[in-house]
Amino acid sequence: MQKSKKVVILGHFGVGKTSLIRRFVSNQFSDQYKVTIGVHISKKVVDLSDEDSVSLILWDLEGTDRLEQIREAYLLGTHGVIFVFDINRPSTFQNLKRDLETVKSKVQDRPTVVIGNKKDLVPEEEISSLLEEHDIPYDYLTSAKTGETVEEAFLHLASILHHDS
Amino acid sequence: MTPEQYQKRFIEKHLQFIELDTAGSVLQNTGRILPIQKGQNISEAHPFFESLEPVFTALDAPQSLHCVNLDLEGREVIVDIQVHPADKGFMLLVQDLTSHYTGYQAVAQERNESIIQEELIVLKNAELEERERFKNLFIQNFSHELRNPLMSSMAITRILSESPLNTEQQHLIEALRETNTHLKLMLEDTLSLSMIASGKLELKPVLFDLKKMLDVLSITYKTKAVSKGLDFELSSHERVPQWVEADRKRLFQVLTNLLDNAVKFTEQGKITLEVGFNQQYANKVNLHFSVTDTGKGIPEAKKNTVFETYSQLTSPEKEQGTGLGLALVKGLLTLMDSEIQLQSTVGKGSVFSFDLEVKVPVESGWKATLEKDADSIRQKTTVRGRKYRVLLVEDDERVLTVLFKMLMETGQFYLDVLSDGAQVLEQVIENPYDLILMDINLPNTRGDQLTRIIREFPFKNVERLPIIGITAFAYEDHLKAYKASGMNAVIPKPFEKEELLDTIFSCLKS
Repeated sequence: MQKSKKVVILGHFGVGKTSLIRRFVSNQFSDQYKVTIGVHISKKVVDLSDEDSVSLILWDLEGTDRLEQIREAYLLGTHGVIFVFDINRPSTFQNLKRDLETVKSKVQDRPTVVIGNKKDLVPEEEISSLLEEHDIPYDYLTSAKTGETVEEAFLHLASILHHDS
Repeated sequence: MTPEQYQKRFIEKHLQFIELDTAGSVLQNTGRILPIQKGQNISEAHPFFESLEPVFTALDAPQSLHCVNLDLEGREVIVDIQVHPADKGFMLLVQDLTSHYTGYQAVAQERNESIIQEELIVLKNAELEERERFKNLFIQNFSHELRNPLMSSMAITRILSESPLNTEQQHLIEALRETNTHLKLMLEDTLSLSMIASGKLELKPVLFDLKKMLDVLSITYKTKAVSKGLDFELSSHERVPQWVEADRKRLFQVLTNLLDNAVKFTEQGKITLEVGFNQQYANKVNLHFSVTDTGKGIPEAKKNTVFETYSQLTSPEKEQGTGLGLALVKGLLTLMDSEIQLQSTVGKGSVFSFDLEVKVPVESGWKATLEKDADSIRQKTTVRGRKYRVLLVEDDERVLTVLFKMLMETGQFYLDVLSDGAQVLEQVIENPYDLILMDINLPNTRGDQLTRIIREFPFKNVERLPIIGITAFAYEDHLKAYKASGMNAVIPKPFEKEELLDTIFSCLKS
């Protein structure tokens, strides 16, 4: 049986939210940065088993460093959240814990997956020390450019949402 | 067309009213923005509406969703959507604002890009600064660590050189000594550079005789140039002041590095040191220094990199040297609020130049004061106290200690001590000495070379200044060669106090 789940993608601007969705939905990537305004909606049906699938309606929200200002209407009926930061730009993750608290309060504790994106731009050995130094609670480190770990992150949330319902 | 017709057309194009029942089936549709027919479910128009179910179920007042980007079968629209509770279910109002939001997107694009760019530049700079800081710290520590083994190597070389050696062994020791000296110079340049980079090098402006400095440079580099078969010329504008206030040591360092570089890379032709006059405001004079050579020149592509540290390392044609000289020049000039300029033509030569603002004293009494000071020193040393002013130049601390003790015990000398050959000429020109006692094998410039230069000085008293050499190379042909350089006497090591004093006093009397 197929269920529709609304997933909102949040995070500061320029962290690669749109690119992650594009990689996940159509397995494409562009180096050109196009700023998202408002919200873009796309859909991907994820097969979880032979019988089960879940339809993810992905709400790609425009990036902001002021999460408290996100329009409430965009978040109505949210089932899950993907929060994205850019490993290269500390400004996008230095207040991560506070940002996640804000998100949590706005979506009534819905399941949230935290992604550190653009891992292709930082040497492997620097990433862990960087994130440990800032005490960053991330779930996945991805690269929308190479596709690394992108599907895993989305599928992880899809499976949580499926079991949730 | 009537206004009503215009209005109708506008509304059809930009507004769409869709009446839905509670299950989301379309009851009525007035427009064409969303491709949907009566009887279809609204979720067929776009997946967006699939996720609106919670909005519909909890709706008790109108709800608005702004700036919703929808991809409608290849056509992208940006709409505002309002959901109103209605009699039979809901009323959707869809407003196409694509052109409005596209304009807004361009503004947001520009703003976000510039913020991100700025952020990345700050990060990049911080990273570069950190690397630079680490590099300088490493160089400073490493240089200090190298000093001790180098000192040992120099001491052992000296001990060996004082033992009985055949001619071949002497040559080998000489080569070893030159290697040590070269290493020591490299360390000093490296340290100066890292001190500049870490902001630890401070300028110390003093009032000094610029013309004398230029004369010293001219004499020194004429000798070096001639030994390589080159011509040398010093040219100075008539308005270049004699006395200026600047960091004399660092200006000297800049000019010697540029001149050394010119000599090193020129195989035939001429080296020219020129000092031009740009302008004067009040007590400040702006001068133009340039060093011109007829060397092989620097290709356009390399003009920026020659001033980088270790630029020679990347060059296939490595020349002898550290590759630090020009980097040091650039760093020192930056400290002096100046900038090195380079004009060069491959096969014809190069011109390295810079402008420098220096202070000139305005008070009328300053020169008289300086001269009076010099006179009083001369009187003290020669007449009143019957004491002699001696410049003692020796780089071996053990020998220096012995010499210092021998001379001070007599109570008849004022002593100035130097350990580096490169500093001797300036010191001699600036101070009225009665005698120089100098080691032959000095770092940077050898004692016999210095003597040859001093003997050609155009200044009175200096050309006849008694110079006594001290040497470990006590072979007859060495001693002859040293005397031929213009030394009044040469004392071979080891020597007794009496021998030293007899030689000194006999030179002073004559």
